[in-house]
Amino acid sequence: MECKLAVSMMHDYLDDDLPELQQRELKEHLLSCTDCRAKFKELEQTDMLMFSLMHQSPVASEDLVSRIMNSLPQVKKERAFVTWIKRHPALSAASVFILVMLMSSVTFWNQDRQLVVRGTDLEQVVIQGNTVIVPSGKTISGDLTVENGKTQVYGEVDGNVTVIDGSLYQASTAHISGQVKSIDQAVSWLWYKVTNMFSEVAYR
Amino acid sequence: MEGRLTKLALKGDQRAFAELVELYKDKIYHLAYRMLNNRHEAEDIVQETFLRVYRNLDRYDDKQKFSTWIYRIGTNLCIDRLRKRRPTYSLDAEMNDQEGIDGYSMIPSDNVTPETELLLSETQRLIYEAIDSLPVKYRSVMILRYLQDLSLQEISDVLDMPVTTIKTRVHRGREFLRKKLEPKM
Ligand SMILES: [Zn+2]
Repeated sequence: MECKLAVSMMHDYLDDDLPELQQRELKEHLLSCTDCRAKFKELEQTDMLMFSLMHQSPVASEDLVSRIMNSLPQVKKERAFVTWIKRHPALSAASVFILVMLMSSVTFWNQDRQLVVRGTDLEQVVIQGNTVIVPSGKTISGDLTVENGKTQVYGEVDGNVTVIDGSLYQASTAHISGQVKSIDQAVSWLWYKVTNMFSEVAYR
Repeated sequence: MEGRLTKLALKGDQRAFAELVELYKDKIYHLAYRMLNNRHEAEDIVQETFLRVYRNLDRYDDKQKFSTWIYRIGTNLCIDRLRKRRPTYSLDAEMNDQEGIDGYSMIPSDNVTPETELLLSETQRLIYEAIDSLPVKYRSVMILRYLQDLSLQEISDVLDMPVTTIKTRVHRGREFLRKKLEPKM
């Protein structure tokens, strides 16, 4: 056997990748070739030293787990609803719609064209006609929802901004800490209503 | 078990996801720490890895091992980070050019305090230096092979490369480390 082939087989052996027959051939070569024997010893030691590193695990900061968990996006509500829909495939969009009609007094989406503004901190908001403005330098604490209107954000919103059947303009000075959602289609509007309704029920 | 946890996490079960974090955070941290040789960056990688896992839970195919999937995300993030950090160079040329490789091993590690210095034996430090001086494409393979104890097939799944390529890289990586460590043996 050539030494070059023997070296290649040594590596395969260390990778648990050498068939038994060839293992015997390698062994024979090692018995007769001192150079290869020395080399094999070194490779084997390198291998052992590398594996020994596994027991020298560095330790991460203690707060790493909480940091990871806190960094996850908060999209659970939506996700839970989508999963719920998936688990009830018989419930088509139409039957969801009927469910909504039965369970609440929500009006059909395109019949409801007047401006609706919802939020927890509406004093800071300026409303001009059908335009809702978050002035620069002002901070809204909590979510802001605008239906059927234009929304212009120059200041800060410390929560989610949801725009339904309307436009959203964010100035370069704008800062929205939560999610920005724009809902334009009847179906997603419906889903939004339903999720909102369900979470209201859940929190009650 | 990971399959069950990912399904629960996908349904919005935060505790199930926290369990996945507990199971894999040290492994990913170890991987990233050895790849980047920097604690802060390693923690960043761990955080980013789990964020990506979370965002892509719905795309996880449970025919694949969860470990393979998460190692792939973590390894790719480390490789990206290394690419941004260091200029590109011809790896194979460097393999035969000892001086070029030694140059990289001289990059100081930012976190060796006198205490840890005392703890690390001369040989261990030599190994760390040797790993650090491995070109990226060999380093990721060697770290997956030894630190995570993956088989050649698993490494090929993680890196999405043919087993033959992985085999060659392990051989060359080991050969390189042997030469570095040889004076101590
Ligand atoms: Zn020989």
